[in-house]
Amino acid sequence: MLSNMLGSKNMTEKDWNNLLDTALPDVEKEMEASPFDTKLSFNMADDARKVINGKLNIKDFHKKYHSKLMREFGEEVGQDFASGADDDSTATDGVKWGMVIDLRKCVGCDTCTVSCKAENRTPPGISYNVVLEQEIGDFPNVAKVNLPRPCMQCEKPSCVQVCPTRATFKLDNGIVTIDNDRCIGCRYCIVACPYGARSFDFGESYEDEMLGYNDVTSPEYGIERGERKPGKTPIGTVRKCNFCLHRLERGEEPACVETCVGDARFFGDLNDPNSTVSKLSKSPRAFRLKSDLGNGPNVIYLK
Amino acid sequence: MATTAVAAPKVKVKEKQSKRFKLWIGFLLLLFFAGGYFIVERLVQGLPVTNLSSITPWGAWIAFYIFFVGLSAGSFLLSTLIYVFGMMEYERIGRMALFTAIVCMIVALTFVLMDLGRPERMLNAIIYWNVTSPLAWEVHFYLVYIALLTTELYIAMREDLVRLAGTPSLKGKIAKWLTFKNSPINESTKKRDHKWMKILGTIGIPLAILGVHGGTGTIFAVVQARPSWNTGLFPVIFVVSAMVSGTALLLAMYIIKKKATRQKIDHGMVVSLAKMMVAFLFIDLGLQFYEYLVGVYGLEHHHLEGLGTMMGSAYSWSFWGVQMFLGAAIPTFLVFYKKTSKNVNALLTAAILIVIGIIGVSFNIVVPAQIVPLFEGFPAGDYFPTFNEWMVSIGIAAMGLLIYTFGEQLLPIEEIQSPEKSEG
Repeated sequence: MLSNMLGSKNMTEKDWNNLLDTALPDVEKEMEASPFDTKLSFNMADDARKVINGKLNIKDFHKKYHSKLMREFGEEVGQDFASGADDDSTATDGVKWGMVIDLRKCVGCDTCTVSCKAENRTPPGISYNVVLEQEIGDFPNVAKVNLPRPCMQCEKPSCVQVCPTRATFKLDNGIVTIDNDRCIGCRYCIVACPYGARSFDFGESYEDEMLGYNDVTSPEYGIERGERKPGKTPIGTVRKCNFCLHRLERGEEPACVETCVGDARFFGDLNDPNSTVSKLSKSPRAFRLKSDLGNGPNVIYLK
Repeated sequence: MATTAVAAPKVKVKEKQSKRFKLWIGFLLLLFFAGGYFIVERLVQGLPVTNLSSITPWGAWIAFYIFFVGLSAGSFLLSTLIYVFGMMEYERIGRMALFTAIVCMIVALTFVLMDLGRPERMLNAIIYWNVTSPLAWEVHFYLVYIALLTTELYIAMREDLVRLAGTPSLKGKIAKWLTFKNSPINESTKKRDHKWMKILGTIGIPLAILGVHGGTGTIFAVVQARPSWNTGLFPVIFVVSAMVSGTALLLAMYIIKKKATRQKIDHGMVVSLAKMMVAFLFIDLGLQFYEYLVGVYGLEHHHLEGLGTMMGSAYSWSFWGVQMFLGAAIPTFLVFYKKTSKNVNALLTAAILIVIGIIGVSFNIVVPAQIVPLFEGFPAGDYFPTFNEWMVSIGIAAMGLLIYTFGEQLLPIEEIQSPEKSEG
């Protein structure tokens, strides 16, 4: 029967929808069965869709339904809703990306550095992520410590402060980015960064060792730049780690986090108190690099 | 008429000088074109022609940039001694000081332009002004400062321009073009010019001290990541160093020019300027002493390493040799030792050495702080300018001297006659 209908090709969108409706329970009937107001639920759903599409302000939404909800659900639920309406700190509502690196789990294999180079196709002399190695102690009580160092995506970044053109700035999600099309290449940010996390693109290339290296520039910040050639952006500008923003946008973790063999890196939303990174950042082992400087790094280490 | 009587012998002198002048221009053009080749190379190939890296991102061109901004601010501040504080004994070098200040700013900005990774985007610093960036503020201050200097120089030259406007030479034509039609000289215009010189000079003093050169020091001083820059005294040292180098440069230029054109040297002024130059040098050294003392006393690892790099590493020849020995010890000796303190040649040597010393100071500011690794385990910087960087620098400096020389030919930078004579 169904195959006949498909075969006939006379099905319109409406027919398909009707077919679906017969399979689904009737919405109105279901809602009537609940002890709460059906009309209110439909209105709220419609307006919620408007809020999501940006056609209605969330605060107006709160105002509109506050009294109705109080009546419907009473103090307990209604009050929560009301307090949300008064909350002005909407900035904390969004995501703030953060990274936690467990130094006890880091084995110093440099996989993060290599995968970062591969992901971002950084030229010779530029590594967004490096692993600093150091031997500590006196023989025979010696140990080797490794310190992976991506960009700290500081809360108050020195680089953003000093950039003369506002080419480098902080996104709402906490990531410090560079507009390579605006950067004049003065390198003040490199000088000002306390973590050495920025590099200047001198225009060097791996083309001699690696066939086709120049064919593609990594689509950093979601911008497809195509072929890498002299005089073309990002050459002559400053580059840095951006937590693999182009990967985050498609729901993937940064390359260094994904490839870490010791699972030493954690990535997530620092604004969400229940995320792994938030919980780990409150660990007594947690510390930040050069915390005396007041930059407020969003990369947290576990010692 | 007095004017023709003075002008006639001068023409003869000019003829004698013309060969020497041609040689000078030829020499400068040679340097400029030699440098020009490397400037083109730099613009075509980009910054790989330098020894700069992501660890030492600033080098010789930034050092020369702060050096020339310093010369400019110093020259200008010296001119204010004349036009604002009425020290008329130095009036002979007043316009020279203003014109030098303009040319030095042009040279300084050219150095910055060479240093940018994307020179074609330089205007972005004005279009997208970031108000928290000292560098963006500086770009704006420099432009206002250049405008102020140009206006002031014009007013200082105005009377001579009006006098020249009638003469048939190229200089006269330019003067005519610059002075417009109605440009009388009388008591009221004299008074007006004098008043405006004072007003502009007075605005210029805070602009030059806080805006232009203190501000240039601020570019470095605000960088918390580099403790040896990150002190409150840093911008002050910049300003005082500017006074030292500006005075020294003008003294040297005055003596050299008078010697080259075989004109009489104002001996008293030279000796007094030399004394002033050394006085500024002493203040500068005193401030530096406290800067280093406080830095060492803090025992902060990073700061100690910065000072250690400057004073006790492979780079220390620049500190002890250039900055301290050539730039401070020898000039001080020359200015105070009885046998040399009145000798024009000795004082000229002292002035040139001080200028060279301040070049050393600029390098010692820019380079050592970037050599120290930011972290234990981070690679240390390693920087010495490449041949290209030196040649580009020579080319830009030659460009500045060419602009100055031609400017002096075309504009009445030097006073045509002393004011007493023209009034008589």
